Order: sequence, then structure tokens, then C-alpha cells
Amino acid sequence: MRLYEFEASGLFARKGIPVPRNAVVTSPQEAREKAEEIGLPVMLKAQVLTGGRGLAGAVQAAESLDQVERGTESLLASSVKGLPVQQVMVAQKVDVAKELYLGVIIDGYRGTPVVIVSSEGGVSVNQLVMEQPKSVAMRPVSISKGLRLAEAREMCREVGIEGHEVTQVASIFTALYRVFESYDCLVAEINPLARVTQGKYLGLDAKVEIDDSSLYRHIDLHLDVEGRIDNPLERKGREIGVTYVELDGDIGLIASGAGLGMASMDIIKQKMRPANFLETGGGITEELLYDVMDLVMRKEGLRAVFINIYGGINPIHEGAKGVGKYMKEHNVSIPVVAKALGNRQEETWEIFREHGVHVVADVSTEKAIEYLAGLLEGTA
Amino acid sequence: MSILLNRETKALIQGITGRVGQSQTRWMLEYGTNIVAGVTPGKGGWVVEGIPVYDTVAEAVAEQGAEASVFFVPPQSVKETAIQTIDVGIKLIVVITEHVPVHDVMEIREYATDSDVQIVGPTSPGIITVGEAKLGIMPGNMFKPGRIGLISRSGTLSYEVSVNLATAGFGQSTAVGIGADPVVFTNVPELLHLFEEDLDTDLVVLVGEVGGVQEEEAAEYIKKSITKPVVAYIAGLNAPQEKRMGHAGAIIQGDGRGTAQNKVSALQEAGVEVAQFPAEVVRLVQKRLASS
Repeated sequence: MRLYEFEASGLFARKGIPVPRNAVVTSPQEAREKAEEIGLPVMLKAQVLTGGRGLAGAVQAAESLDQVERGTESLLASSVKGLPVQQVMVAQKVDVAKELYLGVIIDGYRGTPVVIVSSEGGVSVNQLVMEQPKSVAMRPVSISKGLRLAEAREMCREVGIEGHEVTQVASIFTALYRVFESYDCLVAEINPLARVTQGKYLGLDAKVEIDDSSLYRHIDLHLDVEGRIDNPLERKGREIGVTYVELDGDIGLIASGAGLGMASMDIIKQKMRPANFLETGGGITEELLYDVMDLVMRKEGLRAVFINIYGGINPIHEGAKGVGKYMKEHNVSIPVVAKALGNRQEETWEIFREHGVHVVADVSTEKAIEYLAGLLEGTA
Repeated sequence: MSILLNRETKALIQGITGRVGQSQTRWMLEYGTNIVAGVTPGKGGWVVEGIPVYDTVAEAVAEQGAEASVFFVPPQSVKETAIQTIDVGIKLIVVITEHVPVHDVMEIREYATDSDVQIVGPTSPGIITVGEAKLGIMPGNMFKPGRIGLISRSGTLSYEVSVNLATAGFGQSTAVGIGADPVVFTNVPELLHLFEEDLDTDLVVLVGEVGGVQEEEAAEYIKKSITKPVVAYIAGLNAPQEKRMGHAGAIIQGDGRGTAQNKVSALQEAGVEVAQFPAEVVRLVQKRLASS
């Protein structure tokens, strides 16, 4: 789960990374009050979960309190890359002498954290690696040992950071690693880390993504998990415990696994357009598939629903009952086509058929989707 | 004898008394798996589906000689359970559990570096040596004995590919689901190596998906070290960027790596035939077997 900048910045401060004085606000009046406390000039930064805010005009400087109010008002009325701005961060504006980059990411293939420092900053690390490889040092570190100060210092020197600066940057680097380690991060990035005066550094932007599977051990952070999902259907999916991604088509999709869901989406896309991606994972029950049908059916203009499930860990006969119950209670009039294989498949087909679901007994998803297309064209 | 598992392998079920552990134990026994013990802390002395349950994995190994273990334990217990299981010398561990914290996976992987244990998962559908034994949740009726090795990142999609192959008369030797988390214990090349050495496997089918670099690394490895034909299918050609498509690992970053397109070209460059859709795997397998 990606954190808002102000949340990430808060975690930085807890672990000893210096950040500019800041506050998060939801109204122009509140922005004015906070700007007075922080001291002018300030930066106004839209809090949205996407990169490239600078280019999108979502980060502005304000020299006066009137500017603070007007700027906040316009940001709160705007959206960035389709995401509505609901919160604005008011932060002390500083003069930047030099920008650097610090990051901790995971090398998924090798299964280790990787620490990265660059003597340049402000652009993405991918761009730094491609365009200025000499400015970048990166190393895998042992998850049990973490990033040692000596190692951090060595990496700083490798990219040309010198003298007293090494001590400052290396200690912030190890603090960033502590953020990564303490909060189960997938990514922890300070970009840019700005030198504001000799020997004084501030983290001007904070990017943190926490592993969803680890959120249970960070309840003390009081992060609003569902609240940060803007799309109401995707938020509902999260609430009932499935992954729902809204797409722009009209064929609803329910799959019992992510890979199967993606494959189904690829096949639908040949001749039709998927309305959504939805995968249940291994938690199918009668109630879950009832809720899943309710979610998928909320999408406007739906022409059909395709269900693709396997009975491995999932009791698909239970799931079929949930779909059937929904169909009966809501008099579903669009075609619902199911391909269901694996443990207890015959029993599952029986339940589906009783409730008016078209069952395709063929083993191939292509055939099942062809059948669905035929129903819509009136040829099946 | 295919890879990793056969009908003799003495298996242990960790988390055997839970709802899923119990029902899956029944399916595995029915399939022919040689299950010798179960472990659930605090439930020692129970009997599940005729299998004796112990409090600790050490007891299960001492009393029943268990060699391989499959986990149906909750995600927050996986790390401790894995460390104990590695410590008693179990050689094969299959982690079915979903939503295991990524940092725990990295810790277990580092802990296992110096021992010769093979750990598969997390979020794995398991391992099935077709017609002999299975350690996992895959429905047995989706597989048929034969000479194709199957490696998959996705559980359900591997069932789709195997049942299509089986229906067309192409059975499997062993099928392994590595799981699709951002970090997994066993990477694709390790399994390619095992199938390359296996006398019962003629061809390998790799089922991948968007996100991560497993397929790209597999392509490099195939170029260097694999002589058997490989056929692949990659799901998610239409996955939108920066959206997580269910599997934690299935997120496409903005830099081009990890996209289905990138994986397809890397594999093709390594001489792997890549199917556009799951059922097309059958046609490509037919073609490769006819020409080899």
C-alpha cells in the first residue's frame, strides 16, 4: 500500500530523518493557519498517490497567506491524473543547494533489499541509472544484518559525496533503512534529499509503500486502508476481500485466481471488452460469491458476466450457491456464463444450471468466451 | 522419477487441524500422497483423516521419519514454522499460505541459504507428480500422467493449461507452482534445471504472468543451459500499468521491465515458443514434440 507523502514524511521523522516543518490540511482556512505557524514562504503539495506531481502543477509555492488560501482552494478543487485532491500538505519552503537520491527497494528475484544512493536527485531512479550511471551506487544487503553505517559511508564516497557531507548523508541513509525495516516497506525513497546549507540535509519528498500482507503488524500507524482507494468499486472489492480493478468495457469477469483472471481478460479482449478484473484468491464461500456478484453487477452498462473458477483450495460448489442466490434475488437478466472445473465440478454445474447460469463444460477458456460471445450475438 | 516428489516421499502436513488443512489432507491422501504425520502446536495426540498429529515438527520427524512438509499455517506463523522445519532437516517445504509478509519471506530465504532445503512458495498451489503424489491444493483431475514438466507462477492458470494439455493427450511428469508473490523461495531457473536433468520429462511448459523478472531470468538461463524444448504462455498482455492484478507480484512498473510484452520477447529470443492464449500451448507443444 502506497502512503501519502505526509504519512511517509511522518515515518521519516520518527526514525530521525530531517524533514521540513509541515502539516496536512483539508481547507484553505486551515492552510492559512498552518502556514502562519510554519512561517512563509511555503510549498503547497497536493496529496495524491501518484508520481509526477510537479509536472502536473500539483506542487506550488506560496509567498503570502492570501496565496496560501487561493492555492489550497484551487488544489482541493483539482485532480491529478484522474485522482481527486482531498488533502494538501503545507511545508516550509527551503532554498536548495544540491539534490541527491536515497532509496531502499526489494530485488524480488534475488530476494534481498537493495540500497541505492545517487549524488543526483529529483528525477526517477530509473532515469538516473540510465542517464547518469556514474552518479549511482547500489548494493544488495542482508535482511538479517541490514545497512551498516560503514557500508553507507562507503557508498556515499563511491558516488562522489565528500568530507563532512558523507557523515550526514550516510546517517540519513541508515535511518531510511530503519524505516524500510521497521514498517515492512516494499519501497522507501527520499527523492530529493536536499542540501539546504553546509552539512544540513532535508528530505523534501517521501515515497513509502508498505507490503499489504504486513499491514496487520502496523495497526498503530492508524492508516486508512480503504479510504485511499478512490474508485468506489475497487474500494468495495477491498472491503469484501477480493481484488477488483475497474476497466472500460461491458463484460463482467469473476476469476478464482489472478493468473486465470489475467488470461481471461486477455481472451475477452480479442473480440469484446472486459468491464473489470476480479479475482477471489483462495477464500471462496457462498457469501463471498454473492458479494462478488453484487459488486460486478454494479458496473453500468454490463452486457454479460463470465465466471471462471477452479476447485482446488476453493469449494466452488459453495460459491455456485452464492451466485445462484444472487441471480434469484435480483432477477438477473443478462447472460451469466460459468466455466468451473476441479474438485466437485459436476455438483457445481448442477447448482449453476438450476439458477439459470450457462455452464460451459469445455476445458478451454477460449471456448467458454466464444460461447458467451455467441449468446450476445444470438448465435449460441 | 520426475522431480522433487514421488509416491514414496514421506509427507508432513503443518496446520493439519485447520479447516483447509483438514480438507486438503483428505484430497492429498485420496490422490496417493504418503502422508505420515501432521503438526499443529497444542493439538498433539489428535488424529486427522487417520493421520497422527504432533505438537512439534521435531516429534513428527523422530516418530514418523517425515521428509517433506506442506504448510497450511496462517501467514503470521510462516516464518517461525519454516525456521523450525529447516532446523530439523526437512528437505522439501511447500508453502501454500497466501499473504505472507514479504520481509518474512526474505528472512526465511536468507536463513535457508546454507542448508540444502528446497522451499516452494509462498502462495503456491503446490507440487504434483502426476499419478503418484501431490503436496498442495491442485485438483488432481486436472492432470494426467505424461512427459511434460510444468512450471507456473499462478495456481489456477496452471490447472487451465494442464487440463487443456491432458485433454489433448499430453500428460505431465511433475507440475510445480512457484507462487506469484514479489519474492518467492524457488525461482524458475532452479526448476528448469531439475526438469533438464529429469529422465521422465521431454518438454517444459512455463506459465508466467506480468510483473517481476522471473521470465526474463528464465530466458537467460534457457539460452545458456537448457537443451529440452520449452513452451511458454504469459498472462496479462492487457494488464493496466501500476495496477495490482491480484497477485502481489503482478504489478507493472513504469520502466518497461515486467510487462508481458517484454517477457514474450525475452523468451522468444531464447528460442522459446510463446502462446498467445492458454489453449494455444497445446498446439505449440504438439509442434515442438513432433520436431524433436
